[in-house]
Amino acid sequence: MRTWVYLGVAACLAGLGAVRYGAVPSSYDAAAWQSANPEDGKVADGVFVSDYFDLSYRLPEGWTEGLAGPGPTQSGYYVLGTWAPKHDFVGTVLVVAQDMFFAPESSEVKNVVAEFRQVMSAVDGMTIDSEPAQVSVGGRPGYRVDFSGVGLFRSMIAIEIRCHVLTFNLTSRDPEFLASLVRSLDNLASVRKKTSDPVPECLAGYATSENVVHRVEPDDVGAKAVSIPVRMIVATDGSVKHVHVIRASAAQRRNIEEALRQWKFKSYVRLGRPVEVETGMTFNFKPANM
Amino acid sequence: METIKLTRARAHAGLAAMLLGSVAWSGGALAQNVSNTNPNAVTTSTTTTNAATTDAATTNAVTVNAAARGQNNNSGSASSRSGATDPGVRGGDPGVGGALPGLNDVERQYFDVAKEVFQEVDAGPDGLGPRFNLDSCSGCHSQPTIGGTSPATNPQVAVATLMGAKNVVPPFVTANGPIREARFVRNRDGSPDGGVHSLFVITGRSDAAGCNIAQPNFAAELARNNVVFRIPTPVFGLGLVENVSDGTLEAALAANAQQKRALGISGRFNHNGNDGTIARFGWKAQNKSLLLFSGEAYNVEMGITNELFQNERDSDPACQFKVTPNDSTPLVSENTASPAASFQNDIDLFAAFMRFSAPPTPASATATPVAQAAPAGQTTGAATATTGAATATTGAASGTTTTGAATATSTLMASASADASSVLPSAAGSAAAQSSSPASSGASLTRGGQVFSNVGCQACHTKTLTTEKSPLTGQSNVTIQPFSDFAVHEMGTGLADGVSQGSANGNEFRTAPLWGVGQRIFFLHDGRTKDLQEAIQQHASRGSEANTVINNYNLLSRDDKQSLLNYLRSL
Repeated sequence: MRTWVYLGVAACLAGLGAVRYGAVPSSYDAAAWQSANPEDGKVADGVFVSDYFDLSYRLPEGWTEGLAGPGPTQSGYYVLGTWAPKHDFVGTVLVVAQDMFFAPESSEVKNVVAEFRQVMSAVDGMTIDSEPAQVSVGGRPGYRVDFSGVGLFRSMIAIEIRCHVLTFNLTSRDPEFLASLVRSLDNLASVRKKTSDPVPECLAGYATSENVVHRVEPDDVGAKAVSIPVRMIVATDGSVKHVHVIRASAAQRRNIEEALRQWKFKSYVRLGRPVEVETGMTFNFKPANM
Repeated sequence: METIKLTRARAHAGLAAMLLGSVAWSGGALAQNVSNTNPNAVTTSTTTTNAATTDAATTNAVTVNAAARGQNNNSGSASSRSGATDPGVRGGDPGVGGALPGLNDVERQYFDVAKEVFQEVDAGPDGLGPRFNLDSCSGCHSQPTIGGTSPATNPQVAVATLMGAKNVVPPFVTANGPIREARFVRNRDGSPDGGVHSLFVITGRSDAAGCNIAQPNFAAELARNNVVFRIPTPVFGLGLVENVSDGTLEAALAANAQQKRALGISGRFNHNGNDGTIARFGWKAQNKSLLLFSGEAYNVEMGITNELFQNERDSDPACQFKVTPNDSTPLVSENTASPAASFQNDIDLFAAFMRFSAPPTPASATATPVAQAAPAGQTTGAATATTGAATATTGAASGTTTTGAATATSTLMASASADASSVLPSAAGSAAAQSSSPASSGASLTRGGQVFSNVGCQACHTKTLTTEKSPLTGQSNVTIQPFSDFAVHEMGTGLADGVSQGSANGNEFRTAPLWGVGQRIFFLHDGRTKDLQEAIQQHASRGSEANTVINNYNLLSRDDKQSLLNYLRSL
């Protein structure tokens, strides 16, 4: 079983993620954090807030939300937001997240950026302006690579939060403006108030027969073969306290949620104490053979 | 069998008339124009076809999309916003429409007969209708030549009243608009529909005496915003596409996954329901094979039942003028120029025409004049065909330069005062080079190819794929340039049609192959625009995977936008 340390929240608890630029409106409370999902982030009063990722970012002056992206995919990929100037269209920011539980390939931040660099270097006319390098983004460790081509200057900056790789993709036709956009990412801050709430351990592959004490199969979810990714938070007593069906039809979602809420896990114990666990699993459904 | 032979004989005359722009038709005092088959048709009655349903989640999208329907938007608004201009349809030698290079004589003969059958014009005795959209395959697939897509003049207008028919031409079909099939999003009871509702009936035709059925009530369906459209897709080179393995497609989709993620793109395949392989034909990749594609279109678009789709869509006995299935395998030789083709039914030959047809060739390879718009500051004029396009369309990744020393560790962003610009050592210095203006049409096409890749078009419009072993002579392990990943992608509320087919939902469409796009008149699944730049802009809307790519496009200089448009029109 792979274990990923929840670096982002750990950093916040250590006080590294304190709000830097004055008050940031926050909807955060313990309940919100427990029930939030990755795609729930939104911009209000010029500030992007994601309770799930414990993240806020004040957009540059005069910027707003761009067109929303598509919904979550079956591989746990999210378009969290697109931000752009209201008037002079000089650049954009795209924020996406890849769930490390469902990534089809290596999802370590360093590897993601390295692979990205390789792909971009193979694009005809693309220049790698700055090789991947470790950086700190709003107090969070990450990696950055810069590249340009056909008059567009771009930075890709990746960090890990809650077993997701978040990437900030910044683009401008003005390299100086791009630099200012990069600097603005230091506005990234925590929205989480001081709390003693336990932080779930982020564990891949925890939903196995070894750990599941009681399992209820979801009802039939249709005639088509389908794989449905699901994230869940397992409480300290082994009950399932939150289910996030990442991509499914309404009926599939309902059936899976109803089934999973009846599951019972062994309590996960770390350092002698039961702790909450956040994990993922995929339901693979196949139609009956004809 | 005799009926088929007669049909084929008539068809040739009909085609000749069509090519001459005439409405004369052999076989009596009958008027005849051109015909139609749209391969995007769908049925709900077979396990081998991804059934059409509507997606509840996209109901609103359909409403949003309604404004674009029924219009051929060539307002030039996209051009006026960007300063760049669609060079327009590439003229000259189509450079397409023939057989795959390298076929042997037997295979070429088979193709030639198949192409003739593809051009047959059908009537009552052949089983046309009772409901139909047009009366031949080549009527729809005719731009820039047989096998292509919607022509400039819509033959559906003439066929509506051909042979005494009394059909009313729906308002979304116009003389200069695209050939269209219509689908209803929902049934009257609110349940999903998504199927094709043929535009016309044979009622009133001189070859359909006694048939008295009515057209669908399009006015009512339009009034409740329930009609969506599809236009014909070109069929050139599709045998090569059919011969790309699933593994190759999956590898191509995964090859640049990190780049896709950085653009907000994902994509997935529309897998066939039972065998799980990748379906790849039609606007939503809903059709698994060319044979299925053919059989379904023959029934849905022309109303001709066949050995794949045996049952009439309207079984009113007064409207049946041929045994069912209307098209069947001849057991006695048809005595065509190809002994093999002489024992084939029509749908096998339709599929063979597609399977044996050569792919489109870009302007560079055909030395066809390309009317290009000049970059800013240059005189606009007819540009010549260029060898530069050859470079631009090879798809080889090259020319990458790495500048600036790698920064092993950096905490430049640890505080607000950090000067992050120091990690852009080469960006400012290379700014001038990045904005270089194309100096010639060849340079413009080369630059356009780079723009295509740099802004992210190629993330979905995959340039090259390789076929696997083929039974056809010289067709194994061929590298093709379809400019598609054949995956379906979420295209947002602006393009959504609310129709779900297989695993493709109402917002998803297959990446349209761009080979031959330079010679197409109408763009996007419903033919809503003739303006290539408008088609690009329509990729962006709420929920679309293409939003970031279009943002990148909008950030380009006017010259680079123009180079991209020139490049696309060279394909």
